[in-house]
Amino acid sequence: MNRSAAFASLIALAAASAVQAEDADSAAFRDAFLSGEADWAAVEARAQEEGTVNLYYWGGSDLLNVWMDRVVAPALSEKGVALNPVRITGTKDAVDLVLAEKNAGKGVGEGSVDMIWLNGENFATLKRQDALLGSFAPLLPNAANLEWNPDDERSLLNLRDFGVETGGAEVPWSGEQYVCAYNADRVAAEDVPATFADLRAYLEANPGKFTYVKPPHYLGNTFVQQAIYAHNPDGTGAEPFQQSVDQIEAGELARLIAPGLDYLRELEPLLLDAAGGTPRYPEDNAALDGLFLNGEVDFNCKFGLYAVATGLSTGTYPEAAQQFVFPEGTMIKNKNYLAIPANAPNPAAALVLADWMTSVEAQASKLQMTGMPSGIDSWMLDAAGAQAIADASPGLVGVTQDALDANAAPDTNATLVDVIEATWLEYIERDSTDPIEAIVARAYKNLSK
Amino acid sequence: MSASSPAVPDPADAALRGPSARERRARVWQMVQLAPIMAVLVLLFGGALVLAVLQSLGFAPWFGVNTFPDFGYFGALWGSSTFWVSLGLTLYYATVSTAIALVFGVLLALALVKIFPGKTFYKYLYKLPLMIPYTVGIALAVLMLSNGGMLSRLAAFAGLIDDPAQFPQILKTHYGWGIIAVYVWKQTPFITLAVYAVLLGIGRETEEAAAILGANRRTIFFRVTLPQILPGVVSSTLICFAFNVGAFEAPFILGGGFPDTLPVVAWRYFNDADYTLQLQGMATVVSIGLVAGVILFGYLAAYRRFERRMGRN
Amino acid sequence: MATKSDTSLSSRLSPFQRFYLIVIAGFILGPFIPLLIQSFAFRWAWPDLLPGTWWLEQRGKSMMPLAWDYVLSPYSRVWEATVNTVAIGLIVTVICLAICLPAARVLAREKFRGKSAFEFFLSLPLIVPEAAIGIALLMMFIRLGLAGSYVGIIVAHLIPTIPYMVRMLTAVYQGLGRDFEEQAMILGASRWQVLRLVTLPMLLPGVVAGALFTFLVSTNIFLLTFFLGQGQIVTLPTLLFSKIAGGTLDASAAGITLIVTLPGIILLIISERFIKEEAFGKGFGN
Repeated sequence: MNRSAAFASLIALAAASAVQAEDADSAAFRDAFLSGEADWAAVEARAQEEGTVNLYYWGGSDLLNVWMDRVVAPALSEKGVALNPVRITGTKDAVDLVLAEKNAGKGVGEGSVDMIWLNGENFATLKRQDALLGSFAPLLPNAANLEWNPDDERSLLNLRDFGVETGGAEVPWSGEQYVCAYNADRVAAEDVPATFADLRAYLEANPGKFTYVKPPHYLGNTFVQQAIYAHNPDGTGAEPFQQSVDQIEAGELARLIAPGLDYLRELEPLLLDAAGGTPRYPEDNAALDGLFLNGEVDFNCKFGLYAVATGLSTGTYPEAAQQFVFPEGTMIKNKNYLAIPANAPNPAAALVLADWMTSVEAQASKLQMTGMPSGIDSWMLDAAGAQAIADASPGLVGVTQDALDANAAPDTNATLVDVIEATWLEYIERDSTDPIEAIVARAYKNLSK
Repeated sequence: MSASSPAVPDPADAALRGPSARERRARVWQMVQLAPIMAVLVLLFGGALVLAVLQSLGFAPWFGVNTFPDFGYFGALWGSSTFWVSLGLTLYYATVSTAIALVFGVLLALALVKIFPGKTFYKYLYKLPLMIPYTVGIALAVLMLSNGGMLSRLAAFAGLIDDPAQFPQILKTHYGWGIIAVYVWKQTPFITLAVYAVLLGIGRETEEAAAILGANRRTIFFRVTLPQILPGVVSSTLICFAFNVGAFEAPFILGGGFPDTLPVVAWRYFNDADYTLQLQGMATVVSIGLVAGVILFGYLAAYRRFERRMGRN
Repeated sequence: MATKSDTSLSSRLSPFQRFYLIVIAGFILGPFIPLLIQSFAFRWAWPDLLPGTWWLEQRGKSMMPLAWDYVLSPYSRVWEATVNTVAIGLIVTVICLAICLPAARVLAREKFRGKSAFEFFLSLPLIVPEAAIGIALLMMFIRLGLAGSYVGIIVAHLIPTIPYMVRMLTAVYQGLGRDFEEQAMILGASRWQVLRLVTLPMLLPGVVAGALFTFLVSTNIFLLTFFLGQGQIVTLPTLLFSKIAGGTLDASAAGITLIVTLPGIILLIISERFIKEEAFGKGFGN
């Protein structure tokens, strides 16, 4: 009955995908800017013509949503650009949209996403699929607020995102560090763990009082990576995990991650609700915050340099929450970024937004209102700028910046994150009886497809 | 509005041309009237279904995959034991919640036909969940049933527990009581409405007649009332069951994690970093449709046979 | 025997029914009490039965809008979502009515080959899970440029609403009979006059019921809007979903939940005022 209709809709699909569109004007602008021919005034003029910029970002934080509407939108409208903040439930939704549109033949100037807040796997995916506008970041006027010199090791997080070279296709927006908090009403200071062994000892005495966000959520992935670093059989910590899948053999990776994953598997029976059969992993940071507030867990581990100060000001953290150094030496520190897709409909407006976002003004107000750490590098700023950022900080609770810096560790290479994530799902969540080597080998094969 | 279309022939005019022309015109007119609904359902709904089936069989040139017809995606899916566990869970949540909602709904409808003080209030009250989205029900379940929720706090207040972990876990388990609670909360009104409307329509004469003939309450319910409300019961449970099988938000938020229900499994495939898994997701989605179709068709066929045996048609 | 049949036909409630009604009221309304409290809380931790700190105590201290200040501010997108939900619902209802009225007329009055197959096809969207078509629709819509657009959402909402509407309207037409129209026509009324003066007024109660139900279904749809809206079009169900997706409920989420409930309550009052239960029931018989 509906065969002919199906055929008709297929023809419609084929016809739509046959049109390989590219807006010539946008392409010319992109080429001129990336080659350094277009000066910034020309970019601003074009941005006003474009009129709008569609920023796709994870909309799960009330504070960030308010900041976007209250601060970013007015600042941009002064520049003649209307901000269209699109709140998404997962960053991957925006990446999928960009790729789907690209695959549907929508080229430069034809898509619907101008900018995405992302890092790690999402950036790596866009880069691999050649779906990024190009090396724009070092060309922004405010690029002076960032360290680009590869000889200075502090430039690492501006040049590499989860070990993947940014190539200037994204600009740093926020810096973060994985910091845990404990509830001092429930945990005595001397019982606060500093290492993974301490954590297990604590849980043996207090079963069920800890959990971590479920991978593949990035907060869960990061916890797993820290456990793997800390249990690296060679004792080299994060170092071997900076390589991509092309540089490290499956067998070698399996050998390196096995002790960490075994630790996590042994930890499972001590996690939240494990006594009732299956351990419970919260789906996101809000769920973890809820467990922490209600005293269902005693610790709250996530990216949250200023999470305690912010949580106290919004009522989402218990009053006695304190930060602490855990795990010693492997507290992952990274940055997150703003990227412009290759098919951005308003490339100039996106550049203007990216530039504004890396200004001292933007970073200080973001830090003050949302507790999201600054993404620009304080040593590159003048004294007034550095002071403005310092003044805006909501402050650490119970730890010092020096202690956090001393225990910092880099992220895992984005291509390995995919493998480790898949291995966690198989080995821990699904209780696979296969050895880790086999699981890792399978993940390698799936990813190379 | 389309009934006023100028293309409509004057009936007198058509009569002059003889019956065959008139019939032909009537036929065309009939088609014109059915065309919009056909267009929407065939193009959109049918098109989406066909596309889903094609993709699950390996037709996805936009991902650079075109191995049509390739039954490998179904093979991989049906060959894994977790698929069957997921299917079992999906059907379990759908069946249990439909059954409970049916019992609750019929009982409520039977109570509502009575006369009692506050009946007007109840007629508003019972329809409330019907009017608001499932997400509201989920929010209420989180608030009431989680280990840090109201029931747990009341238990602590009563001195029954002194730690949230001691409260029996209702949400996020594979028993799925949280999911079932939301479905029952939302669907009891739907079934009540369907049954209550029929009860109002049939009046009480037959029941009274049966009572005069000496039938007791049980007999009246099963012999007189039930057969009359049965069509409403069947169609409303069909709709609820089908919805429950395909629902995503409640099992996603309140479910016990891996293994998930099939719609959540499909969603996870679509969100995986590995884009080729989208075809696996399509195979999952088509499997949901197939299973739901087979079960509902069987249910409908059984009902029709029952009807025939009862001497109706 | 006589006494037994008396009780069976009593128009009063049995003790069990009285108890049952109270339980049902608690089941339906009970959870709204903590919801209301949560929406005014600042910090409300286990095992407190009331919030340890109320929002109003913190209101002056916080530089960011909390609880109801957030919910009622433009930042929460509640207003935008409400307008979207209602506007999409209204447009879907009108289009659905326009599509279903002529079809229902034919289905109620005429016989044609393949009619029962056609009727079965019409009710298929009720049976095929939304998840099964949502993703394929998204693929189609991306290619047609309809993803994330109002047109796309409205068109998609037609799929689950048409079956209800056409069933309810068919039932109305069946109840109507065609004598009235024929008589009017014999009396010399034009087709348009018949429609306007005879058919529509008689159809009206059924049409109102169908329209309300369609509007209701449309405003409740989550999955199709979520998939096809691409985050660009926010409706009340998707707004709430993104707030509670992790499985927790803070004060602003509780406030949003209450707001999402409001249109339903208004709709409930309207529908109770204007239509009888039986009109709804017609859609479900057989």
